[in-house]
Amino acid sequence: MAEKAILYDATRCTACRGCQAACKQWNENDEFIPIKENGVQSVNWGSYENPPDLAPTTWLKMEFREIDPGGKVRWLFTRRSCMHCTDAGCIKVCPTGALYHHELGFVAYNKDICSGCGYCIEACPFDVPRSEHNLITGIAKIDKCTFCTTPGLDRLTEGWEPACVKTCPPKALQYGDRGELVAEGKRRVETLIAKGWTNANLYGEKELGGLHVMYVLDDHPAVYGLPVAPRISAATIAWQDVIQPLGWAVGGLTILGLGFNYLVARATTIKEKEKKDAARS
Amino acid sequence: MPQEVERYRKPTRILHWINAGAFVLLFLTGLILFIPQLGFLAQDSWTRVIHRIAAVIFVIIPLWYLLSNWKASWKSIKEAFTWGAEDIGWLQAAPRYYFLNDKKGMPPQGHMNTGQKMWWLIVIVFGTIFVITGAIMWFAKTIAPAAVLQWMVFVHDIAFIVTGCMLFVHIYLGVLHPLMTEAWGSMARGKVSAEYAKSHHGKWYEEVTKGKEVKS
Repeated sequence: MAEKAILYDATRCTACRGCQAACKQWNENDEFIPIKENGVQSVNWGSYENPPDLAPTTWLKMEFREIDPGGKVRWLFTRRSCMHCTDAGCIKVCPTGALYHHELGFVAYNKDICSGCGYCIEACPFDVPRSEHNLITGIAKIDKCTFCTTPGLDRLTEGWEPACVKTCPPKALQYGDRGELVAEGKRRVETLIAKGWTNANLYGEKELGGLHVMYVLDDHPAVYGLPVAPRISAATIAWQDVIQPLGWAVGGLTILGLGFNYLVARATTIKEKEKKDAARS
Repeated sequence: MPQEVERYRKPTRILHWINAGAFVLLFLTGLILFIPQLGFLAQDSWTRVIHRIAAVIFVIIPLWYLLSNWKASWKSIKEAFTWGAEDIGWLQAAPRYYFLNDKKGMPPQGHMNTGQKMWWLIVIVFGTIFVITGAIMWFAKTIAPAAVLQWMVFVHDIAFIVTGCMLFVHIYLGVLHPLMTEAWGSMARGKVSAEYAKSHHGKWYEEVTKGKEVKS
């Protein structure tokens, strides 16, 4: 099946945060006042940006940035949520197989078998997964954007767009075949460059093997707070590609060696016993 | 009744078995992370809770023993770090001994032979590494930088591989090896026959029996 993706055009976004609200509403991550346990309270901290961060009940959040290149103030909006990487660090480290690639290409997870180890949180190059975490018992479950495929709340199987895309008034968010959206993104970038935005670029086409959330930006990704060359950390690779095979190899060799020793040593003792018996008789 | 000598006092044996139990629990609940097919066992953090309970036992019991038997423990810890010519001799003679029951060149061993000392040293060093890295992962989970936590997992797992493999060797030698006929009894009942002590721990046997008859 063709891989699906979301294309976010930052130059069309008006920061209405309809996507944020639709995400919460559809996925039943409502905010409560007074604050629900583990919820993140919206507070007035001098910005339209709210709530302060992604959370177990906040899977999508619009970030606002004010910059003034050459004295001209610009107000930039960045969509923060799971980027649904092809080379996904979270899937690489997930010890229980709770995180996996959906057949449509994005990163889904089975919350039931999440053990709460939190390795995905540490391995994510975009700092996206969040968990409710009991510090003493270690009991935890991770949460993040499911691309609207949460069991019982699965929009894609119904043939619908993700809730954030559906609600977006200026059509800054689009959902569709990834290949088509790459082409669409490139067209938009060309238009922007023609209009004088010489730094315009399509973010996510090649990053980490191709993201399933791509960005049309009119400036360098760093200006939008995006990691310029996101990578899977050395520790992730060391754990997954070195430690795990090494563990099996060393453990296996140890057991084989012990088995070999047992066979030889037993043969030796039997031979000695026979010799003793022979000498006695 | 054959003559017997005491190898491990009761408190030592109790310490051994409690810690052995805790370590096996820690080992199994950790091993699940290496086997994705068993991931369902870890769901809802059950193995994490068991791992933590076992970890507390694994830390508290030896600390309590250490403080209540300070002198003997300190001597024993020092012994683990004291290596000499006899240990080199043991290492050289060990393969022929453990495969072919050939005692040629095997120096008489103390209360711990070099192999046991090696295991004891690994327990001290990697046990400490386990506790430090584990405590950071447990209590600093929400405040430590992600990279720190990831490398703690890395180090924790190296300790896991080393001690896990040596645990197999330890259990094998204590229970299965055809020559270690009384190793199990020494930790289960605390005593071994004088004959076994003489042949396996000659130097130690000399020390404990010097100038006195062995009680029968």
